[in-house]
Amino acid sequence: MTTSTPRPWHCEEAVLVRFVDGTVDPVSGASVETHLMTCATCRGTVGRLSDQDLLAGVWADVREALEAPARGRFERLMCRCGFSEETACLLAAVPAMRGAWLLAVLGATLFAVVAAAFSGQLGTATFLVLAPLAPLAGVAVSFGGDGDPAHELVVVSPYSALRLLLLRTAAVVVTAVPVTVAVGLTLPGPHWLSVAWLTPAAAGVSLTLALGPRLGHMTSATVIAALWAAAVGSALRLDVLLALVRPAAQAAFLLLALAGAARVIVDYRSLGQSWRYS
Amino acid sequence: MTTTTTATFTDVSKTFGGTRALDNVHLGLSPGVTGLLGPNGAGKTTLLRVLATALGADSGRVSVLDEDLATAAGRLAVRRRLGYAPQETGFPRGFTIFGFVDYMAILKEWTGRSHRHAEVRRVVDLVGLGDVSTKRVRAVSGGQRRRVVLAQALLGHPDLLVLDEPTAGLDPEQRARLRDTLGRAGQTSTVVISTHQTEDVAALCERVIVLHTGRVRFDGPVRDLVGLASGKVWMSEEPDGRARHTWRTGTGRWRNVGEAPDGAELIEPALEDAYLLLVGESAASEIGVPA
Repeated sequence: MTTSTPRPWHCEEAVLVRFVDGTVDPVSGASVETHLMTCATCRGTVGRLSDQDLLAGVWADVREALEAPARGRFERLMCRCGFSEETACLLAAVPAMRGAWLLAVLGATLFAVVAAAFSGQLGTATFLVLAPLAPLAGVAVSFGGDGDPAHELVVVSPYSALRLLLLRTAAVVVTAVPVTVAVGLTLPGPHWLSVAWLTPAAAGVSLTLALGPRLGHMTSATVIAALWAAAVGSALRLDVLLALVRPAAQAAFLLLALAGAARVIVDYRSLGQSWRYS
Repeated sequence: MTTTTTATFTDVSKTFGGTRALDNVHLGLSPGVTGLLGPNGAGKTTLLRVLATALGADSGRVSVLDEDLATAAGRLAVRRRLGYAPQETGFPRGFTIFGFVDYMAILKEWTGRSHRHAEVRRVVDLVGLGDVSTKRVRAVSGGQRRRVVLAQALLGHPDLLVLDEPTAGLDPEQRARLRDTLGRAGQTSTVVISTHQTEDVAALCERVIVLHTGRVRFDGPVRDLVGLASGKVWMSEEPDGRARHTWRTGTGRWRNVGEAPDGAELIEPALEDAYLLLVGESAASEIGVPA
């Protein structure tokens, strides 16, 4: 007994031309569509007859829909606030824009507030030490080899280093400051204390950015944090804790912040596009 | 045929602590693929980082694409025409392959979403990662991560492509594909790669530079380097004590490199033989050849 294999059949090219043009009648169109599911030869013919630019465009659109990265919460929020998609993407790489960072800031500040509630002067001192450290630590982890895993690639990119620096710093400040201020408002002392740390923090951030290209951002932030903690500790021992955040001290910190900012601008203009070219 | 020099190093030195990574390096680079060979600590990565504007030289002059790297404007101009893949890099948390290359494209001043994304798709496809472009970079294999770094370097058809160990971690098929990609790039651009793989240099590079202890020990066509070992490679049934390097081959016989004795069974030298003769013990231990 012999068996015969059914001979493959293919659509007439004229029908396929009408199918591609969209002028084929609905019944034939459905039939062609079903046939194309199983016939590579006719699919090839349809491909040949189709407008290649159109196909490439459709395929690019399909890939765009599938591959374009889904924007995270912070990126979507920034786009809603008027930032460009590119700026939002650049900031998404900053550690300070992640939930874990915000939780760390919140945790550290809450700890300081709880300490302040239970320990009076010592607690206030703890808050004063920890509150400025949030933006300082944010800056430290957002720059340099430790904080930016793709640091070397960023350094050799033509993107303005000063703009990137300002964007990242702004991101750190925007995420760290409101949380700390809000938590600080629950302090048992005067309400102004919840914002009194802002000027020392600004000075710390500014000096970290100024010293970063020379010492490394992490080292600079650590040294500045240690000096600040020592200053608060000494003030506590001498019972002049609040003198650190009175107007005279605030003016001094403001001057330091401005001096640091000026240094950063001068450095970046002279170094051009790199924050570490040594 | 005229050769255009796209980069020149004039008496360039760089020291880290007490170590002189580059010692009065003097060389010129031209379009085509140039391989940088040398043992660990020879100064390859330092030279490439200086070329890629990631690092400044302590002394000497570096000129790239007619720009002086000592000036900020010069560095910026070079960075706009540069593709760079460092030996090691990390990736920001949470980025997909496509997302990371897109991030790098933004840093390279690609504006216009559809135009930029089309270029990102091109380079991702070029390195064979089109099928996994939506995966997170930190979740893919080391070889795939390596190709992500290569993809971002290829953005925008750079005039200068600087690749530090581009074939490390790639399987043979991926290496062959990369060689093809770099060979094509070398037709119009200056491509400089550092590698420990002499076979990559033999297969890909028109020119080879051998660095050792921060100094240029050889600079010329690959065939000229191979020629240095002509008459200095022979086979024997037993290891030959007179050879500078000897090792057992897959056939069970011994391959010897050095001053060949009279009557030795000389064979055609390979690039690896010449490299061993030039650089000696430090290179031998690195590529697994007993000195």
